[in-house]
This record gives sequence, structure tokens and C-alpha cells, in this order.
Amino acid sequence: MLNLGLDVVTTAAILFIVSAGLLMVFGVMKIINFSHGAFLTIGGYATVIVAHAGLNWWWGVPCALAIGFVSGMAVERFIVRPLYARPLDAILATWGLGIIVGQIITLIFGRGVQMVASPVDGAISLLGTQYSAYRLILVGVALLIALALGWLLNGTRLGLQTRAVIMNEALARGLGISSSRVRFMTFCTGAALASAAGCLITPLASVDPNMGVPWIVGAFMLVLVSGSSLVSLAVASVVLGGAQVLVSTFINPVLGGLTIAVLAALLLRIRPEGFARG
Amino acid sequence: MADPVSTMPLRTGGVSAWKAPVAIGVAALVVLAVCSVTLPTFLVNNLIRAFLYAAVALTVDLLWGYTGILTFGQSAFFGIGAYAAGLIFTHAGFSLPLAVGALAAGLGAAWIVSRMVGWLAFYHGASPLYASVVTLVLPIVLVQGIYSGGEFTGSSSGLSGFDSIDIPLEAWFFVAGAFLVGLAVTAWLFVRSDAGRLMVAIRENEARCEYLGINVSRYKARLMDACAVIAAFAGFLFACVQMVVAPEYAGFVFGTELVIWVALGGRGSLIGPIIGAMSIDVGSAYLSGNLPYVWTLLVGVAFVVVIVAMPRGLAPLVAGVARQAMPRRRRIAPAPVTFVAAQQRAGGFADNTRPALSLRNVQKHFGSLRVLDDISFDARAGELLSLIGPNGAGKSTLMRCIADGAERSAGTVEIGGTEIRTLAPYDCVALGVGRKFQTATVFESLSVAEALRIARYRVAPPSKWERDSTLELPQPALDVLRLTGLDRIPERECRYLSHGQKQALELAMVLALEPRTVLLDEPTAGLTKQERTQIGEIFVELSSRYRMCLLLVEHDLDFVQQISSRIVVLHQGRIVMDGSVEEVVHSDLVRAVYAGDAHAAANQPEEEA
Repeated sequence: MLNLGLDVVTTAAILFIVSAGLLMVFGVMKIINFSHGAFLTIGGYATVIVAHAGLNWWWGVPCALAIGFVSGMAVERFIVRPLYARPLDAILATWGLGIIVGQIITLIFGRGVQMVASPVDGAISLLGTQYSAYRLILVGVALLIALALGWLLNGTRLGLQTRAVIMNEALARGLGISSSRVRFMTFCTGAALASAAGCLITPLASVDPNMGVPWIVGAFMLVLVSGSSLVSLAVASVVLGGAQVLVSTFINPVLGGLTIAVLAALLLRIRPEGFARG
Repeated sequence: MADPVSTMPLRTGGVSAWKAPVAIGVAALVVLAVCSVTLPTFLVNNLIRAFLYAAVALTVDLLWGYTGILTFGQSAFFGIGAYAAGLIFTHAGFSLPLAVGALAAGLGAAWIVSRMVGWLAFYHGASPLYASVVTLVLPIVLVQGIYSGGEFTGSSSGLSGFDSIDIPLEAWFFVAGAFLVGLAVTAWLFVRSDAGRLMVAIRENEARCEYLGINVSRYKARLMDACAVIAAFAGFLFACVQMVVAPEYAGFVFGTELVIWVALGGRGSLIGPIIGAMSIDVGSAYLSGNLPYVWTLLVGVAFVVVIVAMPRGLAPLVAGVARQAMPRRRRIAPAPVTFVAAQQRAGGFADNTRPALSLRNVQKHFGSLRVLDDISFDARAGELLSLIGPNGAGKSTLMRCIADGAERSAGTVEIGGTEIRTLAPYDCVALGVGRKFQTATVFESLSVAEALRIARYRVAPPSKWERDSTLELPQPALDVLRLTGLDRIPERECRYLSHGQKQALELAMVLALEPRTVLLDEPTAGLTKQERTQIGEIFVELSSRYRMCLLLVEHDLDFVQQISSRIVVLHQGRIVMDGSVEEVVHSDLVRAVYAGDAHAAANQPEEEA
């Protein structure tokens, strides 16, 4: 029972980590960044690069953040910016970018699965039960990301401008806020977050050129039901992630894999705003 | 969808719509027959597959390129058709009756699944993104279902080694090719027909279509049903030829590949997606062996470049080059559409026993903010009722509450004696309400005549296979066209019209619905003085001669004074005055409202006429 509870909490944390970057981009730019999966993959390979360089695994995180941010700059400038008025086309172009990234990685690293050492091994005992230490660390990481993003949005000038753009872009522009700069920074931050998430999930998943793909659909659905709010995303991660754990445990894992997508689609049909208020 | 995809290159028009497509279709069949015996076997084999893929790509083009529904789910229907054959031939053996049964089962299953998808994805107010999400979830669910089917569905390795229809490869080549040609010719006739233009109208302006009395959601769902059945048929043929089915053919990645082929070939052009699908699929067969990852990389790069820089794909580019290179042929100018007066429908315009429009205690609030509070008034046939009030008084909101049953928070709205309950806009149109939007909304890439025909869709459903050279319109709509000169330019695309012409066209479209009540939201905004006078005369004519009930939102008090028969003053969501022009114009209250002395005005008791 306690194990199940921990499964729910850690799954929600992982989903939150993986989706946070996508939410940022969707909230501000109102487009779905399907290259999110590609950025996850890039982050995963950052750990491979770090391992080759003989550095400690944890160096992968800042490295992934940096690579993600820089590649996000290029992607925003050349692919996303021209498509800002065509949201459905933006989905397609970013999906195409995912294909390109996957192929480039295949050409450099080969199509095989890369082995990456895990930073923390084994289980720790918690309230009388053994549980994977790394999954528990991820709960802390998720909280850290939530706090950091919360501070970015609510404690900085750029965050204030970002919130203004989210609420009413036309008005924000009228008040002299450079919405294109806000969009640019948001996309780069989203890409960096995705990349860091890709790095963080390597101990749980394999590193291969298509490692991001299975995560996109889940993240995409979570973001759609959350709108543009981090709090809604946290709620959605816990509710839908919890449902996924329960279905996987008590019915079967295949259905479990579908839980998020199906529940989210039905939820949006009944309540188009999803978990977001109003 | 706001994508700047403009009209199809396949438009030629003219009355003899059948000639060209059928002639080209027959020619294509002859080429097929010749190719089936002359081409090398490896190519024939690849082309069979490419033909079937192209058929599915064509359905993606109809849904996405023409209608604007971005779908990732056509692969699922293809997979359903393929698995129907694979499952039955594997588990029940092969015989001709069983093959027919498998085909029927495949098409039936695809149709049922499409109905479910349609129910989920298309409803009044659904966002286009949501429809795409549903089509994305469909193949994912289907593939997981196949995976968990174990021995029965062959799980991840699929089914193979079953018997199938035993005819030579050349015959399959002809069958698959003929299927594609037949489909392409049918689709060509359909998209060029008067009814087919509705797809483009929906892509360009869904809301306007709904307020023209068209149930857009149902139309989209029916279109998806048809496309699902076609894709399933392609899948069935595929399983019969290849004698193998695998989950990849039903998967989401194949669904995105279909979209890539359509985008590269040129969405909304029919021929582009066919060529795109065939050249990339055959290209992969030859090149992916030599350049394993580079080929996919190149396709990916081409896809991104096309989406960003050439949203219409390569088809218009190729067509442009071909037109330059070939000796100039004189294009047969399409016979211009002539407008004729329609017979007035039974029932006529005037029914004076009941008010044309009756509102009782209508309220609208967003959370705690009350935008409309306790609005009650009647309006009769022949009245020209103006709604005035400062910005934010709730005038436009009130218009919406009359034209869309789902808008108001409380109260009742009766149109011609029938309560609108929570009816969608297209049902309100059927009750006799026509609404003109605040900003002129027309269909940018349709011609004037086509836009008007869309407006007549509900009253007089157009042909699905032909273009009619005459268009019947009710007299008031004709009057507007004549007065503004639009009747002389029926073939001009709406994007080239001036602002005033767009306003007039939209008004004519609304009048083409034969409404008894017309809602006009700032119809003179941005018009010149002369246009304004002209349109004012039209309004007076509509109410006095044709006995329509006009509800007009206006800011210009002089204009309102000249044409209205009655004025209602709204302020902060309440009716502060309802009376004749004289009463309102000389009222201190109205002067106070407009002078911004809002507080004093709001506190005064209502001066009901």
C-alpha cells in the first residue's frame, strides 16, 4: 500500500519534470512544441557525452540545460517564430524537427541503446519499506523545478512580463512589453527544461535516438488539460499519473500506458478547460 | 484555421465539369495497363504499395488540406482494414465469401470507430487542436490493443503467411492503381463542385459557416466517416497484396508520415499528395538501403522547410514552372455565375401575430461579473430597433445571446414564438435569425458567388458533383448586390474586395438565409459617408418593404436617428431606456450616459416607454 502511494508520488514527479518545459511553451506561445521529445533525447545524450568525458553523472544536468537552451535559441528563431500565427503548422514543423534530431543523433552515436551509469544505486528504507532511492530524489527535483519556475514567474521582472503576455498579449504589447523577447526566452527555457528532464530520466529509461517519443504524448496530454498553470500541471500529474499507476498495477500495464491519453481526451471533451480554473 | 493556404490549382470551372476529370482518369487507366506489363517487378511491387498509401494520403488531404482538420489518425483506419483481412484470413482461412465478409467487417469497423472519433472530436465550440489530439490518441490506443492481443493479433510482429486472393502481381498493380485513379477522379469532381467548396469555407471561417446555418461539426464528422472507410478499403487491399499486417501500419508514426507526404506534395491540391506519397515511398524503397539515415534526415529537413517557408507545398511551385515552360494555352474562362431571384418561400416574411423576437430576463455573467442583467424587450416584424450605449454596455454580448442558445446564463429568448433553449447557432438560423458580425467576415479564398452559395447551403443544398451556373437568391440579397455593384463581379475572390464590399457581401450572405430577424453588429464601421447612406437606405427598405425585424448595434447617433423606428439604450448591462427616436434623442438620461456620468444614469429609474 505504501509502495503504491510512493509509486503514485514518484510517477507524478517524473511526469511533472518531463512536462514542465512543454507547459511553459504552451502557456506563453499557445503552440504545442512537438520537438519536446527531441529535446528530451538531446538531454539524454548529454549524459552520454559527460560519461565519455569521464565526468560525474551529475555534470549531465547543467550540461543538458546549456545544450537545450542554446539549441532552443536556434529552433525558436528559425522554426517557431515564423509559425507563430499558424499553431497547427507549428506542431508539424516541430515534429519534423524531432525527426531531424533523431536522425542526426543516429548518425553520430548509432541507433543502438547507450548504457549510462546511474548516479544513485539501490534502495533506501522509508517507513519500513524499501524504495528506489533515485525515484525519491526525483520528487525533490520536481519540487525544486516547481519552486524555481514559480520564482521565475512571480519574483522576476521577466516573469511579470511573461504573465502579462499569458493573460493578454495584445495589451502587454501595448504597454511596451516586447512579447517576442518574452516568447524567445520562454522557448529557450522550455527547451532547457526539456533537455534537463531528458537527462534526469536516463537512469529510468534507455538512452536511444527515439527515447523522447514515448514521453511526448503523455506530456502533451498533461499540458492540454493544465492550460498554462503550474499548479494545474501538478494536480494533473498527480491525478492522471496516479490513475496510470493504479491501472497498471491492478488491471494491466498496457492499459496503464494508455490511461493518461484516454482520460485526458475524455476529460477535455467534457470539460474543455481541463484542470485549469475557468 | 488561419493558414494562408489559398485556392486549389485544380480549379478550372465551367459547366462541363465531368469532361476533364473523366478524360484524365481514362488516360491514367490506359497508362496503368501499359505500365503493369512493362515495368520491372521490383518497381511494380513498390508502386502497388505506393498507390495504396497515396489513396490514404488523399483522404488526409481532404480532411486537412481542404477542411483544416489536422489528422494523425488515418493510419488507424488503414490498419483496421488491413487487420480485418489479416485476422479473418489467418483464423478462418481464405475463401471468396470470407474475403467479402472481411472487407465488410473492415469497412464497418472503420465506420464505427470514425463515428466515435467524430463524437469526441467535433462538437460546437471544439478547438481544432482538440480534434488533432483525438486523432493522435486513436492510433496509439489501437496499436496498444494490437500489442495486447497476443497470438490472436500477432502482437508486435503482426500476422503473416495467410492465404489471399490469388491473382498475379500485374493484376494487383492494375487494381490498386484503378482504385487510386477512381478515388482521385471522384475527389476531384467533389472538391470542384458547389458542395465541395464548403470544405474550404469551413477551413477559412468555421464560425461564419455556423452562423450561416450549417452544422459544421456534423459535416466534418461525415467527411471523416467517408475518409475512414476509404482508408480502410486501402488497408484491406494492402493486406491482400502483401499478405502481411503489422502494428506499424496502424500506428501514429505512419499517421504523421501521411501528413508529411501531403505537406510536401502540396496540401489542398489532391494531385500534390498523390505525387508526394508515391515519390517518397518509392524513393525510400530505392534510397533508404544506400543512405539509411540520411534519406529520412533529408525528408525531415524538406518537411520542416516546406512547412515554414512554403505552406502550400511543392505542387504550386511545380505547376508554376510547368505553366512557364509550356506554350501558353488559352484557359477556358469559367462561365460567370448569374444571380436570379428565388421564389419566396411559403410563410413569407410577415407574421404580425407574434413578436419576431422576444427576450425575457436575459442575463449573462462571467463569474461574478454581470455583463447583462435582466434584459427584457420585444421586437416585431417591420421594426428597425437600434441598440445604443457606450462601450462595454453589453450590446455585442446581447447579440450573441440571441444568435447562440448556449451563450446566456439565464432568461429566455424566443424567436418567432419558439424558444431557443440551448440551440447552437446553426439551429437558431433555422428559426429565422441571421447575424452579421462586427468585423466583416467572409471566406477569403472563395469568390463572391461561391460565398453566397455557401450561404444558400441550408436552404438549397448544392450539387455534390457539378457547378451550377445560376444562383438563386432572395430579392433583398439581390438588392444589396445590385446597389453595391457586387453582382457585376461574381467571380472575384473575396480577398480582393474593399472593406465596404466585404461588409455588403456579408450582409447579402446573411440575407440569403431568408431571415425574419437580422442582427447587425456595427454594420457601418469603417464605411465611407456615401456607403453609410447607401446601407442605411437598404436597412430601411428591409424593414419597411420586406417586413424584416432588424436589430442594429450602432455608435453613430445621427445615423441611428435617421433610420431607426425604435431605440433601446443599454448601460452597464441594463436597459436604461426603451422608446421612440424622439424620446431617446431628447432624453437627459441618454446625454448623461454618453457624457460619462454613468453613476447618475445607472441610479435613475427606468423610463419605460
